[in-house]
Amino acid sequence: MNIKLTSLFKKDWFGLLIVVLISIFIIATIKPTFLSPFNLYVLMVSTSYMLIIALAQMIIIAIGQMNLSVGAIGGLVAISFSGLMEVYQISVPMAVLMGLLIGVGCGFLNGYITVKSGISAFIITLATLYIFKGINLGVTEAEPFYNIPETVKNFGNAKVGNTPIPFLIVIPIVITFLMWIFMNRTETGRHMLAYGNSIQSAELLGISSSKVVISAHVISGLLAAIAGMLVVCRLQLGTPNIGDSWLLPSFAAPVIGGAILAGGKVDVIATALGVLIVAIISQALVIFKIDPFFVQIFLGLMILLAVFVNRYREYKQEVSRKIFNIE
Amino acid sequence: MRGKKNPFPLSLWPAKNIMKTLMNKKIPNFIFTNQFGLLCLVLVFIAIFSTVTDGFTSRFNIFALSRVIAIDIMIGLAMMVVILTGGLNLALGAIGVSAAMFGGWCMEIMGIPVIPSIILTLSMGAFLGWVNGIITVKTGVHSFIVTLATMSIYFGFMTMLTEAEAFRRLPELFTDFGSAKLFNKYVSPLLLLSVATCFILFYLFRFTDIGRKLIAAGANPEAAELSGISVSTMFIHCHVLSGLLGALAAIMLTTRIGAAIPSMAGQLGMDWLLPAFLAPVIGGTLLSGGKLSVFGTMLGAVLVTLLTNGLYLLDVGEFWIRFFLGIILLFAVLLDKAREYFTLKSVIVS
Repeated sequence: MNIKLTSLFKKDWFGLLIVVLISIFIIATIKPTFLSPFNLYVLMVSTSYMLIIALAQMIIIAIGQMNLSVGAIGGLVAISFSGLMEVYQISVPMAVLMGLLIGVGCGFLNGYITVKSGISAFIITLATLYIFKGINLGVTEAEPFYNIPETVKNFGNAKVGNTPIPFLIVIPIVITFLMWIFMNRTETGRHMLAYGNSIQSAELLGISSSKVVISAHVISGLLAAIAGMLVVCRLQLGTPNIGDSWLLPSFAAPVIGGAILAGGKVDVIATALGVLIVAIISQALVIFKIDPFFVQIFLGLMILLAVFVNRYREYKQEVSRKIFNIE
Repeated sequence: MRGKKNPFPLSLWPAKNIMKTLMNKKIPNFIFTNQFGLLCLVLVFIAIFSTVTDGFTSRFNIFALSRVIAIDIMIGLAMMVVILTGGLNLALGAIGVSAAMFGGWCMEIMGIPVIPSIILTLSMGAFLGWVNGIITVKTGVHSFIVTLATMSIYFGFMTMLTEAEAFRRLPELFTDFGSAKLFNKYVSPLLLLSVATCFILFYLFRFTDIGRKLIAAGANPEAAELSGISVSTMFIHCHVLSGLLGALAAIMLTTRIGAAIPSMAGQLGMDWLLPAFLAPVIGGTLLSGGKLSVFGTMLGAVLVTLLTNGLYLLDVGEFWIRFFLGIILLFAVLLDKAREYFTLKSVIVS
């Protein structure tokens, strides 16, 4: 029992779970309205797409790179999705399929250029960020699409049965589950972590770096596309500025979840809890009527705090490892 | 000490070989440098735009161009000094805007004269850069994530304190500087300031002790640490310098607009990111750190601004400009990679 508990404490997600529970408890005792059905509904809606955005960034962090263009891909898919339905009268499933294809294509482009040129993904995705955003603005001329089909709008407002659970959150939860299986139980997922840990060792083991990098970017693009379309469902319109503010939260959740930016260490559950923490506390700031700009400051402080905590834990582990070696 | 020996083989030095050495080494070396390629590109684009478009060479356009180029050079330099450490400074725009708003507050609300206000603004920028540096060094986390966090912290505080209100009643002495015209009304004094900064930085990195130490710390931190350079201090210096230059760029932007506006660098100061990375990367600064080119950055900024201006004049449309800038960045890094590949090859062959 004792051994099991200590091994639980070592898991990234366990500490975060405690943080989530404690913060819910504190906020709920001060403001009982926090647990009202409406508030929970709002909380879950905002968690839903942020979860996918965080996972889209997490998989790139896993291979030791970063993807600045997550928001730009999401925005491009969002306006193509709504534009195809409004202007070309394409049926909803076809538009979803096209949206996913665009996301995959954008991700493939990122991965292919990164791996073939050997230039850091940061600079490549900075360039594609402006390319995708430029196409987005060039096509829409900064005008939103308002006439979204009723099916899409209804999907965005639907709730599961009589509960306050929005239908929007079902897809992200399924995707989180699939991502957990992918990162922990499949060969490609493990290869990505190996590649992120040490490119040289991975290559020596016969892992193809182009396959790993391209598939990670493709999955990232796919997830960004899904997030973009979910935002369209939620907002009930396709505006060109969808995705503009995704950069900070997309990094916040994985980093709070203990991901190491150098690559090789990510945790899907901890990332999901990171999203939840950010959502709960931003919501709490709204309930306590704190200046909305403070949410931004707060998000930055959370990242710094997570960085310090991770650093401290690493330090602790190093110390214990040293002691163990001496024995 | 033994007698001085000529370290070079004799055959290299006689006068008849000097010409040969020059022809073989110096000139082709210059031709193969990034700066030369950039210079050619700049000239080619000037030629193209002045023939294809009306008004590219007009006095108004050249003056406007010189002001924009001045600010872009400064932004590029501010990012370059952090890239030198192998890091990044995403908070550059946020630092710039925060410093400029602080300066506006000093001048408009506190009534502090222009020169002390500018000094205060610069120290504000340097301080914010120092915070970035100290967190990066103390935690050992990549500066990307640190500056991502501080970007939202700085920008959030700035918006909260100013309540997103602009300072529009700045002293005339200050705003006149931005609209002043020199050289038969063709050039803004801001450009002279930027070029002067380039020369100062070039001197710093080429001829001073601390400049060489900064480069050494960026190129190989372990080796630098072993040879007695405090790498942490050097990295903090780079971040301070970046904050200082960012604040300077923001002051220049403020004099150009004539007001300190919270949104002058876009949401979270992100609008500065593209020019900030374009100029050093095109100019041949290595993203992994340890190699920089001050004049390359300058030419990179000139090239990017020229292209943007030319595309506007060609009626490409405001929205497609971003697309083209992205493509340019992509091609610039790919070309740089190709150049590296070919120069390596030629070295092996000869």
